Amino acid sequence: MRQSDSEVIQRVLAGDRAAFDVLVRQYQERIYRLGYRMTRNAEDAKDLAQEAFVQAYRSLGSFQQRSSFSTWLYRISMNLCLNHLKSAGRMNPAEVGGSLPDQRPNSMDDILTDERDRTLAAAIEALPPQQKATLTLRVYQGLSHREIAEVLECSEGTAKANYFHAVRALQRRLKAFRETE
Amino acid sequence: MSECGQIRDWLIVQGELDADERRRVETHLAACLGCAREASSLHEILGQVQALPVPEPPAEFWGDFEATVRRRVEDAPAPRPGVWARVIGWLGSLTGSWRIPALAAATALGLLVAFGLVRNRQPQRDIPPAEVLAVGEDLAIGQHLEVLENLDLFEEFDVLEGLDLLQQLDGGGRSRLS
Repeated sequence: MRQSDSEVIQRVLAGDRAAFDVLVRQYQERIYRLGYRMTRNAEDAKDLAQEAFVQAYRSLGSFQQRSSFSTWLYRISMNLCLNHLKSAGRMNPAEVGGSLPDQRPNSMDDILTDERDRTLAAAIEALPPQQKATLTLRVYQGLSHREIAEVLECSEGTAKANYFHAVRALQRRLKAFRETE
Repeated sequence: MSECGQIRDWLIVQGELDADERRRVETHLAACLGCAREASSLHEILGQVQALPVPEPPAEFWGDFEATVRRRVEDAPAPRPGVWARVIGWLGSLTGSWRIPALAAATALGLLVAFGLVRNRQPQRDIPPAEVLAVGEDLAIGQHLEVLENLDLFEEFDVLEGLDLLQQLDGGGRSRLS
């Protein structure tokens, strides 16, 4: 039977380092994808995800379990991503389209879908970091606004407002794209 | 804000509306073609955003990922539980006749600490020494000094109809202080 995160954490704190592998395996894909959505760079996403786990390990003693382990891990990961974006600068939105995997278009529809996806990806990249973070956590991780507020250490109202503005920005961008089709 | 404006804003945070708000949205969408189209468009956009692909890493990626994290974790100092977690853990590990006295001692210690913290937060109400009290009394009398000195002036003003009363009270006030 799979152990709960709490039980695994207790084992790690009792000295069982190898138990931490369980948490890594449980969350690695989620944290990596979170990093990728934020940075649009596979190498950066890998480095940031690994760093998130190492920081989580080091701080495990101070994790008071007031929130879930996943929320806490998302917080560590998001802080790393946001700091990375601040120092490395955001990807040029025009280049973001190139970071999407090649989907060999078979038809005009495919070409248009591909173009639309690149436009959307560029629009997300152009969002202010907090809005991008909120959108990523809401759409891709399925977090509620209350959980997003916990991760980003802001009020629930701020989380909602950031999400609202992010979606509105994407709507405007997509509307402009459709008008040029 | 118009009803359509409110509904379109709510559409974005849908999923976290209360029952009344959800009912209002459903009722409005059933009657308003414009907002119904907006809802459909929004649903479509969010679906497209969600479907944006993330390149799948190669097969060996996760093996390398775990190995790197494991190596870095092995080099890091082992995490230790925080102070209170250790105290609670220690209490939990006690068995037999030690547990209850230890729990009682811990509770008493906790109460003492809490009491000390609360007590320190309350404003100090020092009881002033006698000479300070005496000066205070003089000051209290002094608050009326200006009135007392100007009583003859005030007497000229008819508006001070209750002056007799004031003079009586003044005499009563002195006896209160003595």
